[in-house]
Amino acid sequence: MILLSFVFLYGCAQTNILDKVGLTTLVGYDVGTEDKIKTTAVIREVNPEFQSNVEVLSTENDTSKGNRMEANRKLSKKIMVGQMRVILFGEELAKKDLRYYIDTNLENASVSNGIFMAIVEGETETLLKYEYQNIEDIGQHIFRLIEQNVKQEYMISSTLHQIAHDYYSSGKEFAMPIIKRDDELVELSGIALFKGSKMVSTLPAKDSFYVKIVRDTFKVGLYETVLENEDVPSEILQKPANKITVAFDAIQSKREMMLVDADTPTFDLNIKIKSRVLEVYPDINQGDPKSVAALEKAIEKKLSKEIRRVIAHSQEVESDIFGFGEKYRSEVRHSKLTKDKWQKIYKDMKVNVHVDFTILRDGVFE
Amino acid sequence: MAKPIQLSPKDMINAYLLFFVVHGAQIGVGIQGFQRIIYQDARQDAWISVLLAGIATHLVTFCMIKTLEIYGSDDLYGIQIDIFGKWIGNFLNAIYVIYCSVAFFSVLRNYIEVIQAWIFPSIETWFLSATLLIIIIYAFTGGLRVIVGVSFFSIILSLWIFPMLVFPMEYATVDSLLPILENDIRSILKGAQSMTFTIIGFEILNVIYPFVKDKKKIRKPVHLGLLVTTIIYLAVMLVSIAYYSEGKLLKTIWATLTLFSFISFPFMERFEFVAVCFWMLIILPNLCLYLWAAYRGAIRLFPISEKTFVWLFSFIVLIGTLLVQTRTQINTINTVFGQIAFYVIFVYPILLWPIARLKKNFASKKVKKNE
Amino acid sequence: MKFKLPFNKQQQQPVQEAPKENLVRVAHATDHFIQSIKNATNNPADLIVKYLPPNVTLIYIDNLIDDQTLNNDIIANLQSKPHDTPEAIEMALSIAEVSQSSLLRETVELMVNGHVVIHIGGFPQTILANIASRESRALSAPENESQVIGTQVGFNESLSTNISLIRRYIVSPNLCNEKVKIGTRTSTSVSLLYMRGIANDQMVQTMRQRIKDLYIDELIDSAVLAEMIDDNSLSVFPQMLLTERPDRFCDGILDGKIGVLVDGSSMAIVSPQGFTEFFQSQEDQNLRWQIATFLRLLRLAAFFLSVYLTPFYVAALTFHYEVIPQAFLVPLSESRALVPFPPIFEALLLEFIIELLREAGARLPTKIGQTIGIVGGIVIGTAAVQAGITSNILLIIIALSALASFTSPSYMMGNVIRLIRFPIIILAGFWGFYGIMLAFCFILIHLLRQSSLGAPYMSPFYPPRLKEMRDSIIRMPVPLTSKRPALTRPKDEHKFVPEPVKPDKS
Repeated sequence: MILLSFVFLYGCAQTNILDKVGLTTLVGYDVGTEDKIKTTAVIREVNPEFQSNVEVLSTENDTSKGNRMEANRKLSKKIMVGQMRVILFGEELAKKDLRYYIDTNLENASVSNGIFMAIVEGETETLLKYEYQNIEDIGQHIFRLIEQNVKQEYMISSTLHQIAHDYYSSGKEFAMPIIKRDDELVELSGIALFKGSKMVSTLPAKDSFYVKIVRDTFKVGLYETVLENEDVPSEILQKPANKITVAFDAIQSKREMMLVDADTPTFDLNIKIKSRVLEVYPDINQGDPKSVAALEKAIEKKLSKEIRRVIAHSQEVESDIFGFGEKYRSEVRHSKLTKDKWQKIYKDMKVNVHVDFTILRDGVFE
Repeated sequence: MAKPIQLSPKDMINAYLLFFVVHGAQIGVGIQGFQRIIYQDARQDAWISVLLAGIATHLVTFCMIKTLEIYGSDDLYGIQIDIFGKWIGNFLNAIYVIYCSVAFFSVLRNYIEVIQAWIFPSIETWFLSATLLIIIIYAFTGGLRVIVGVSFFSIILSLWIFPMLVFPMEYATVDSLLPILENDIRSILKGAQSMTFTIIGFEILNVIYPFVKDKKKIRKPVHLGLLVTTIIYLAVMLVSIAYYSEGKLLKTIWATLTLFSFISFPFMERFEFVAVCFWMLIILPNLCLYLWAAYRGAIRLFPISEKTFVWLFSFIVLIGTLLVQTRTQINTINTVFGQIAFYVIFVYPILLWPIARLKKNFASKKVKKNE
Repeated sequence: MKFKLPFNKQQQQPVQEAPKENLVRVAHATDHFIQSIKNATNNPADLIVKYLPPNVTLIYIDNLIDDQTLNNDIIANLQSKPHDTPEAIEMALSIAEVSQSSLLRETVELMVNGHVVIHIGGFPQTILANIASRESRALSAPENESQVIGTQVGFNESLSTNISLIRRYIVSPNLCNEKVKIGTRTSTSVSLLYMRGIANDQMVQTMRQRIKDLYIDELIDSAVLAEMIDDNSLSVFPQMLLTERPDRFCDGILDGKIGVLVDGSSMAIVSPQGFTEFFQSQEDQNLRWQIATFLRLLRLAAFFLSVYLTPFYVAALTFHYEVIPQAFLVPLSESRALVPFPPIFEALLLEFIIELLREAGARLPTKIGQTIGIVGGIVIGTAAVQAGITSNILLIIIALSALASFTSPSYMMGNVIRLIRFPIIILAGFWGFYGIMLAFCFILIHLLRQSSLGAPYMSPFYPPRLKEMRDSIIRMPVPLTSKRPALTRPKDEHKFVPEPVKPDKS
């Protein structure tokens, strides 16, 4: 008995009782003064009045753990990061270097590999500390915002695992969504392109469709595009118009990346999209196979143009977020590809984009 | 020939249970993080190394069974004494006992390290080691029947973990596996050698052999067990290579556990926390079988009762776990032990077989001459 | 670490020289004889001595015999014409079981068992006629193992009634019935029943030996006997089945098991019994196999739920807040917010309350018991949550696991489930999932170490017998289960010749 109680007394593990810990749901990092790290944490606390309140705390310190300690000194509850869902980075910080933050979060066993990372236009602190009228828990809200958009395939997914995967891959760079405050709301405003661990450029949110379609295959993604007049053969139009707006959701997309020439290098990018047209304005005759084919052609043309533009942009900033380098590495034997090497090659890479767009069906009313 | 072990039929086990013994003894702590060690050498061809190591286990086992069959119903300890005489034989037996003990220790210490790294950083090493040892003593004193039962249930009850590998497939890219055979054969072989620490365990056959009821039927279950182990390692390796990028895999210490990290169910997230604790059931047969093998050797060396042995052994191991404190020390032990195990498990049995045959032929000729 | 209990071993019986009184013969003279009987029985108030002139004396204990038989079949016969010799009287009685004895001790023993002693003056013998009548209640439905479909009769406290019930199910000369007397003071009749030709001889021998080796002075109920002849009496898990259903008993016997009945106890012992068989109900045999399989899986799930749900809650809330899904996080932490105790204490408190309710419900008369159960459940549950000493989510979990623990068809196993939860909760409260796994491994090894009458307890899982899993956690259709379980090592393995499920209709 004595032995048993001895064991119970000394062998007891440190407890993290749920209602005694403050759960960090979101952490934002900014550049602090004098090379310090400025951390803004959204911490959810539960108090006996059956209400959970959300604290937004900002601290400045040399390490992120130091920030946690400092935040601990300000709160009644122990701060834990095991339920963290989102990590945000200030724009300025992202332009400097993110390597440290990726590594420190990978190292920590209680941080999930599935948390989202995103960039904030401006400072995270100002975004998080703003008193939103309709948003009770800003941490939860931003998580849901990103999660929902990723699930719907509107936005590229940027979990810690994917970021780390791309960062430690020799032939791929990572990208993150950008969020910003829009009055009383928070919105996803674009995609940040990285070179190594530094943010080098951005793309508008609308382009996330093109990025996604080249990066991976997907199931459901709503997309709307404007077809210029010159792309559209006039015969399919029932009445003349300057442009046609088309909205479709891609039911299925398949992309195929092929290295056709290893020296230059040159890639063939074949993209097959099967889709359902949701909206066409002004109206066209969708019953007519000819006009449907023409519409498909037009969309194909438009898509390849846009994709070429997006790739060209990424080449310009030497940020291969699409993973052409991985393909290169897997095809070329003994390439001994490193990140630096690929960044140089990528600049002069050539891509031939072919889009194969099929309209499977439209709605229930013609 | 040395006196064969006399056993009552109650202590004997059916041949098909060897499948569970071999498989259960092989899978343990190694699978939690073997990927990066192999990957260091063989890169994206690491899966070929795994495959080669798997084939090697089949070959070695073939030799082992051949050697054991020469003697009919004796274990390695008896065979060594018979071949090399009392002194050298006993010396080799002592080495084998020490080998089993170190294997036991290494499995235990690695598991404790995982627990401390993932879940309870503050919990004391001695406590984890003592609780695990108590469980093992309880199983060990139940006899071989219970130990084999533990192996059996350990496998049956952990079957559900294997399908969890489907979850990471969502993020897997096949391109990571290409180009195949880019690395030269030497580095692939080196990777295969690094598998030693992970894939050993089947040497338990050397000791358990006399306890099998119908010895003619053992080939099928044993090789099946090895095959399943190889398939599991291969599957884990393939998924890991496809899931991680090269740099990330090299930096992930327990890649298999990290694979589980984002698996979530409606009622539970962070599956790896459950997996880490559940791993106790997976390492249990490892520990029990090594302990048992060490005991079988120890009673040959000096008369010792089962109870004295197990308590003495546990005490020494407990002290040992306290002495090894840091991750670096553990890694050193793993590496050194892996290298020694390579010679003990993969090289030695292949050498032993021809020696045993020669000896046997020699002996039978002698008998004829005497006649 | 095999524990052996003293009464399992053959105790060195003090070698008694047969005491003299054993050999005392019946006196010739009537007066002497009566006096010696009175001395031997301490002259109880219900000892009746009746003279039938000229020289016949009847002695019996009033409460043990059937008055009507005594009047009609003995006294009437004796009065009709005088008899001189014991043989003549023995012939004259229209009673089936009549014997003669010349030993006083034997006479007294039989008299205490309900025989009428007839003594003829001048003869050194007594005639003993068995007209015993034992008070026993009428047969009724089994209360603790009720089932919807199936026979609605249970054992009662009379050994002979119980055996007659069994004989009704198994009409076969191969049904062996061995009688043993146990208890130096109570001298309780114990019947050993098994099927010759099916039951394994060695097992029967083991069972017989274990019962015979008992050297105790009292045996009131079969549950006590079961504990004493268990393989490991110190284990919390029962290794022999106690049932009050004759159909379940007979089913076991026909599978080659050995049954033990104890006089005065309405529970029969069936052995060997595997662990999984405790989760099977006889009703499963009466239902369609899909439904029976579903019910068995349900019970198995209930077992795991009942044992591990509360510990899981405690572990997750105390240590592993990471595993709680986000959707649960807010409700969980809000319901916990008012509770001043750590989760382990909270859980133990609630478990304790539930056990109190159960125990009170079991002790009180049925009608009050139900009321107390409902009132206690609702009032204490609601009040506890409102007072803020427990969270309502835990309340649901505890209630669920309590409910699940009652699905076990064996009351004994249900108790085990409720008990082993407590140590697991404590382990979970101290070391989280690691503690739960420790407990899990410990229970697994413990179960593996047990045996039931020498047969492996975990059968058919370990040693694995794939074919027998057909009738363990699942129940395959009857035509596919033609073999008896190997657990009992039966001599005759086949119940019937397996035939196609549906013979071709001609």
